[in-house]
Amino acid sequence: MARVTFQSLILTLQQFWADRGCMIETPLDIEVGAGTMHPATFLRVLGPEPWNVGYVQPSRRPADGRYGDNPFRLGKHYQFQVVLKPSPLDVQETYLDSLRALGLDLTRHDIRFEEDNWESPTLGAWGVGWQIMLDGMEITQFTYFQQAGGIDLSPISAEITYGLERLTMFLSRQSSVFDIEWGAGFGYGPVRKQDEYEFSKYYFEVADVGLHWKLLDQYEGEARRCLDAKLVLPAYDWTLKCSHVFNTLDARGAISVTERVGVIKRVRDLAVGCAQQYLEARRNLGFPLLPESERAAALAEASR
Amino acid sequence: MAEYFFELLTEEIPAWMHDAAQANIRQQLTPVVEQLGGDPAAIRVNSTPRRLVFFVPNVRAREADREQEVKGPPKKAAYDAAGAPTKALEGFLRKNNATLQDVADAGEYVTIRRKVEGRAAGDIFRERVPQIIESIRWPKMMRWGRGEYSYIRPIHSVISMFDGQQLPITIFGVNSGSSTVGHRTLAPGRIEVKSFNDYVTKLELARVVVDATRRRHVMAERARILSMEVGGSPALDVSTWQQWQYLTEYPGIVRAEFRREYLALPEEVLVTVMRVHQKQLPIRKANSTLTNHFLAVLDNDADQDGNAAYGNSFVTNARFADAKFFYETDRRKPLEDRLEQLGHLQFQEKLGNYLDKTKRIEKIAAAICAEGGVDSAAALEAAHLCKTDLVTEMVKEFTDLQGKIGGIYAREEGKVEAVWQAIYDHYLPVNIDDELPRGTAGAVVSLADKIDTLAGFFSVGLKPTGSRDPFALRRAGQGVVQILLNRDGRQLRIGIDRLVEIAFEAQGQLPQAAAAAREDLLAFFAERVRTLLDVSRYGFAYDEIAAAMEAGWAFSLTDLVDRIEAVKAIRDETNFLSILDSAKRIQNIVAAHTATTVDASRLVHPTEKRLNELADTVNRQVAELIAERHYRDALRSFAAMAPELESFFRDVMVMVEDEAVRTNRMSLLRKVGGAVSRIADVTRIVVDRRDYRS
Repeated sequence: MARVTFQSLILTLQQFWADRGCMIETPLDIEVGAGTMHPATFLRVLGPEPWNVGYVQPSRRPADGRYGDNPFRLGKHYQFQVVLKPSPLDVQETYLDSLRALGLDLTRHDIRFEEDNWESPTLGAWGVGWQIMLDGMEITQFTYFQQAGGIDLSPISAEITYGLERLTMFLSRQSSVFDIEWGAGFGYGPVRKQDEYEFSKYYFEVADVGLHWKLLDQYEGEARRCLDAKLVLPAYDWTLKCSHVFNTLDARGAISVTERVGVIKRVRDLAVGCAQQYLEARRNLGFPLLPESERAAALAEASR
Repeated sequence: MAEYFFELLTEEIPAWMHDAAQANIRQQLTPVVEQLGGDPAAIRVNSTPRRLVFFVPNVRAREADREQEVKGPPKKAAYDAAGAPTKALEGFLRKNNATLQDVADAGEYVTIRRKVEGRAAGDIFRERVPQIIESIRWPKMMRWGRGEYSYIRPIHSVISMFDGQQLPITIFGVNSGSSTVGHRTLAPGRIEVKSFNDYVTKLELARVVVDATRRRHVMAERARILSMEVGGSPALDVSTWQQWQYLTEYPGIVRAEFRREYLALPEEVLVTVMRVHQKQLPIRKANSTLTNHFLAVLDNDADQDGNAAYGNSFVTNARFADAKFFYETDRRKPLEDRLEQLGHLQFQEKLGNYLDKTKRIEKIAAAICAEGGVDSAAALEAAHLCKTDLVTEMVKEFTDLQGKIGGIYAREEGKVEAVWQAIYDHYLPVNIDDELPRGTAGAVVSLADKIDTLAGFFSVGLKPTGSRDPFALRRAGQGVVQILLNRDGRQLRIGIDRLVEIAFEAQGQLPQAAAAAREDLLAFFAERVRTLLDVSRYGFAYDEIAAAMEAGWAFSLTDLVDRIEAVKAIRDETNFLSILDSAKRIQNIVAAHTATTVDASRLVHPTEKRLNELADTVNRQVAELIAERHYRDALRSFAAMAPELESFFRDVMVMVEDEAVRTNRMSLLRKVGGAVSRIADVTRIVVDRRDYRS
């Protein structure tokens, strides 16, 4: 196996999925906790239009930060996200091929699909699937999306989320994430350790709680204004910002158990509003991603 | 004789769902096999992570012909006055394609008998198999692709073969064929099969062992050998083994190890991480201490390059590194110093934080000890600290270790055994088969914690309704009942009524607001007591429980059990059966009458005089026996009045014109009937009349 680096992994996966009909999207330029929140997943899984996409998404989870001290945990990690809609019947086989493309001889490794269902209360979304175990280690989340923004999905999308750091660590036999190589001789530790420390310190100790509560109110208000103006994509941007502010407050220990439920509901209400309006907007556009031959039927179906 | 064989190839089905699905298939196949003259015990149902398989040997190729009886209109309506068939009969015959000759001459209704030709077995399988497979109720279903179907996982292929021939069926749009695939990574090619035996053999070569039991045996044997090599044996953990057999198609086990330094962590933490989070099994030495080796499941017969050993060690070390960090952080701060932090951890919006709860638990625990005459020192110390582990890093990460972690930390802080064990055990019992807390102090704290939760939630109007019980209050209530039913050295002599009172006092709620909640909580407990006694090892019948509970239960559950036992023991005795009958008559006659004082001077009939004297004697006796809790003898003594009571009903008229006499007789009956009202309301016992008066 050639030397595995963080970037060689990304490049291989991008090429692999591009070769299998995926559009390679770029990361969302807003802080999110997971690739699922990128509109290329959360919004595109709605409605009848087909969609095949792959992209890297930096994922910020303030509460997971460990000041760069823990070799396995990061406040920001990177996911490679693939969405296939509708889910093809051979999606598991294709996924295994992607591991082969990374240089793994699967006859000499243990690969298992163990039940792991996914639910996001803030997005009003859930799905059914597995965590994929490579030699006993979870390397991928595999989900058949069933609902998003409270809306039952049809067709169903398959979502594949690779944990890039873990996979690189494992493939390059490193026991600390900070010892892997990003690429071109740059180490992940030297590149990223500073922001792990600074953001851990910020989210846990420094973030201005009062300001963040205010931001939450303002972002939420702006999201509502956008929804009222039938501008779903800006509304969704502001929804994601609310979600990140919520995560920050949570990491800061500023949200009590009751408040938590309340804030989650506020964000979910926005997400549900966005989902509904997005579907409506796509319908008004005539579902442009559908082949022409299918549009009339889909529009008739959608207006029922 | 013929055989049928079926395979459904899907994507990986969750391990914990297989047993129920297999049982469901077997159950639904049974009538089909019986219909075809086969032996249901010979049905073989099996599954691998992505296959459901069954095989039915030795069935007839055709169902036996049989006679069928069809019931038609009543005879009265079938023939007119002249004996000619009516329209009703003609319609019935037409519908059943029969003639007047087919009408059998028996009973009130017109019936026809006709021969039904047995159907071909193939037709029956074609009809039933798709229904059976599609109707399996999986605990969590999903849709896929275009979303037309809902099932446990997407369906890939179907094999349906009858006697070496394909028997075409369709399951969720997938047409059956005669081919399948081998192991996902080791032998992924297509395989054509001719019969079940052929299928099993070819799959075996393609690295799939169809029989789950065999996979389990192979793994158990490997596990034993791999453990022996490091001087230990695998933990006997039924739930892990049950999962493992459905996590592989080609059974294997790998042994891995974690760094020795982690052995210094509490064993409960190590075991939880391995079992719950990693589905691994620890290896223990003969003296049952943990080794730093463990076992993990492998979907391959061997780990040739050591990849799986590396991966499993890697991930387990990572989790233990986290745990060690939590442990070391936690140890720097004694439990006592964490109380303040509990003040920031909300228990429930209206019920305050965990510091508030702790104070209530302490208060309640003290009252329980005082009431039950139990030394309170250990219980109070444990109550004081029992919730502090909720703000440890370890419990934040491994929530299912709550209580245990507090207990371990208390032990390490040098608390005496009674105290640390009480903290460790105070969530027990969670389930109906759980052990109770090991000591009295643990029982007290557990009781105090649970009753506080219940009184609190009920007082803010959050009681369970229907199937909704989001705060697991029924479970808490059941725990209370289990502890109060216990009679060994840890027995706490306190009634639920008193316990509820103490708990509401500790809530500091306004009395009028609490009154209704208290009623609700007692009704809730009545239901828990009934349920637990009904399903538990006692083997009580529902009416025995109801009868004894009617005479009171909240003051002592152990007393309740004594009374139910007494009722159970004598309910079939002749005198008792007779008096039950009388008691019900009394109940009907004097329903609204409550007085029990009889004016002896107004008794006229000798029979009623005798009955009155007998009742006085019996009542005295019964009262003494009840005082000594000899309930069985008390019920017998009561039952001894049966013959006299029967004479009374024979000789004496109760409902006479003279009101004074009538009232007096009713009082007499009340007096007789009420003799054992402190033991049970005997009118609630259901008597099958065939049981007596032969």
